[in-house]
Amino acid sequence: MADKPSGKAASVDREAKLVDPTQGIPEPSYSWRGLTNEWGVKVLPGAHGLRLGDVNVGSYGEVPDYWADQTRRPRGSVGRPGIPPLPYSLRSKHELWADCAADLYEEAIQRRWIPATEVPWDSLEVLPVDIEKAVCQMCTELSQCANTELEIITYWQDRMSYGYFEVKQYLATATFDCARQQEVLRKRALSNGGGLGIESRGRVNRIILESSGGWTEAVVYLYLLRGTYITRLLSGLLSAAHNEAEVFIYSHMLEDHARHLTYGYDHLKYASSHGKDATLIMQTLLAVGEGHMAAELNEGVVSTAMAIIFGGGIEGARTHGMERYLLLVRDFITDYLAICQELGIEREKTLHPVFKRYLENE
Amino acid sequence: MSEATEIPREHELDTSWMDNMAEWGVTAKPGKRGLTLADVQIGSYADLPAISDNMTGRPRGSTPRAEAYRVGAYQVHTLSEIWLDNAEYLYEEALQRQWSSATDIPWHTLKPLPDDVEEAECLLCTFFNEVEFVAGDVPARWIARTTPDYLEARNVLSAQVMDEARHMDVFRKRALANGGGLMRMSGATSGFVGSIDLARDFTEMSTRLHISGEGAVLTMFRMGELFGQNDAEKTMYRLCAQDEARHVAFGVMHLRCLGDTAPERREEIECYLDEAEEQLIAGQQNPAGRQSESSEALAVLLGGGSQHYDEGHKKLLVIRRRQLKEYMKRVISAGFTDRFENGRSPIPAQYAATA
Amino acid sequence: MMVVFPSEEWFQEVRQAYNSDQGLHSGGGGACDTTAGFKVGEYWYFIEFEGLECGQVRQCTEQDLEATDFILEMPLETWQAMLKDVQANGKASSNLTLNSIDLEFEDGIARSPIDDQYRQDLFYRYNQNFQDFFDASSLVETTFESQA
Repeated sequence: MADKPSGKAASVDREAKLVDPTQGIPEPSYSWRGLTNEWGVKVLPGAHGLRLGDVNVGSYGEVPDYWADQTRRPRGSVGRPGIPPLPYSLRSKHELWADCAADLYEEAIQRRWIPATEVPWDSLEVLPVDIEKAVCQMCTELSQCANTELEIITYWQDRMSYGYFEVKQYLATATFDCARQQEVLRKRALSNGGGLGIESRGRVNRIILESSGGWTEAVVYLYLLRGTYITRLLSGLLSAAHNEAEVFIYSHMLEDHARHLTYGYDHLKYASSHGKDATLIMQTLLAVGEGHMAAELNEGVVSTAMAIIFGGGIEGARTHGMERYLLLVRDFITDYLAICQELGIEREKTLHPVFKRYLENE
Repeated sequence: MSEATEIPREHELDTSWMDNMAEWGVTAKPGKRGLTLADVQIGSYADLPAISDNMTGRPRGSTPRAEAYRVGAYQVHTLSEIWLDNAEYLYEEALQRQWSSATDIPWHTLKPLPDDVEEAECLLCTFFNEVEFVAGDVPARWIARTTPDYLEARNVLSAQVMDEARHMDVFRKRALANGGGLMRMSGATSGFVGSIDLARDFTEMSTRLHISGEGAVLTMFRMGELFGQNDAEKTMYRLCAQDEARHVAFGVMHLRCLGDTAPERREEIECYLDEAEEQLIAGQQNPAGRQSESSEALAVLLGGGSQHYDEGHKKLLVIRRRQLKEYMKRVISAGFTDRFENGRSPIPAQYAATA
Repeated sequence: MMVVFPSEEWFQEVRQAYNSDQGLHSGGGGACDTTAGFKVGEYWYFIEFEGLECGQVRQCTEQDLEATDFILEMPLETWQAMLKDVQANGKASSNLTLNSIDLEFEDGIARSPIDDQYRQDLFYRYNQNFQDFFDASSLVETTFESQA
């Protein structure tokens, strides 16, 4: 195989001819032949097939710190002058990058699941009304969280430049995950004699959706602050699942969610080590965000619903059910502080007083 | 140590929400197809508001709260703007038919190809990689702008975003898996008036993307079994074609629904179709359209090499004929027949000219 | 036992083979709901896919197919060539898949009985299922009409 193909010389791009198909076959210009930045690339599939990260070889694997191109030029392809720019505002690597993005993309595809046919819906059995209401309320709450995640991802996806296509492709899987989560939660709420609950007030949804300054800022709220809490909620729901259907649903949602958090934390790590003043900005955002999160934690809907689930009903919720939920919140805050520390974000000294109380389990 | 039993703390509970659940007593049952979104369209949960007043992002049918924050400035909040009658089925179908470019393509069947053929394939892959960027970005943008009351339609778009990511990925992989590389971008997908991503209305966007753009690309992908040189390529194109057919179906059914429910918009839609047809015939986004780099590459592939360019070009004309025919029939299926009978559309003449 | 193609018995055997082994359903397949028809020589056959299974297949009349989503119609020799290739190779070779064959004919092999492109497009959307179905015929010992 030749190192670089030699096609017909084409020093001038011929203007495309308008072709009247009845007038014969136009002479090809072959102006495109030989126009490549790197040729002779041959990536072979490995034990896991041919993965996205595998083809990041040579110049095709060079991920620049800044991608000036505002067109849809595939990274590594030859550009073309005169192409009008598109509004890709996120063109710096630290604004969206995570080293794990390509791997997470492939993992998401491999670990796909189908709620309609894979959830053992026939394992659902009638639950006491208070428990069914609690489960349905949590389905409603988590569905609204998934909706917020879907909306903020798709808002920013469109603004991310193609120099970092691995991230865009990974976020496409996250988009799909969120749609599936809304679907399965709706199905659970409507398949066991219940219905949807009351909507969330949306304090934290609001701060996520109003993160218009940058994707990193949205990730701080979406994944570091709220996402860490949702992990604990899903783990708690899984541990208290009432039937095989719920086990399946919560365990698969947890898997999806774990991928989202992996991206989120990894991105924040990259941003904090490469973005100017990034950790200070994150600190400011979290100082504000904790207040909203605290208000949401103090509200009675989720806490009561989870307590009922943990306590096996309203009676148990008043005692051991709520105790277990309070431990869940304490664990969330512990996780949150640990991740902040790893990212170099100081929170412990100025932690919101409500968070402190939960930590001390008062 | 005291033997007294530890008395657990007692906590106050706020159970007021339990008296405010939405419609209760719903038991959707799984059918032969499992528990689908269609199966849970029961009672008030099936009610689709003609105009959505959901400003908070709540799930359709849940109990609203007066004090909830109004975070959803949804541009698309009228049913006719986005709906299609089979949205729930298309979404479930998309879930069922996902595939992995890493493991479902027989990459081991790739063998070295003559330079001109490899270059042509790589140019086409570069082109498709670029084109799928639009098809991924643009539906995503509209998801964020659409009320969650139209969950089913939004979910179909979410599935499309996933499909397009997979298409971007598979074409990039092909270009880098057989001794070639990426070639020059086409530039056909960038922003200028009449392009897909500058549309300020969902139906305008869908007409251009789903009916015109993806319809043409669907024919290309199907043709992949003719110009693909090995099982890897043929499989790649065939699987992409299945996904693309779903996206086209969205466009046809949405247009059909809009034509039925918002007849006052028909003339507006006809104008979008006018522009889309210009693009279809002449635009650089269609390799089977007029002479372009990707159409030359396609002719090389169809002929099995540049030495058979003429033969390949003739096959290309057959592709173009099919594109035109299928486009017309899809628009007719969508309920816009008149334009092909009253002389408004240039497609019938183009189609006749390709005979 | 050898089964003659085309015959209702042959299609039933293939249906059983297709339904019995999930391994025959390739990536990109999955649940689908569609009804279609096949014209093979002078015979017409009705087929229905429901979810992950081929629900039914039977011989019928042309009129019985008026409500189907699409009909696949090609010369008997082409059907035979396709299936002989499947018998020989375990699955269709790339130039003898349903899609390839469809592309070789100017008007294709798929048509909607009511000329609705949306329904005809179901052949494209569910192409993999139909391909898997015919590929499953590799498990059915087949003799062809002219040989019977």
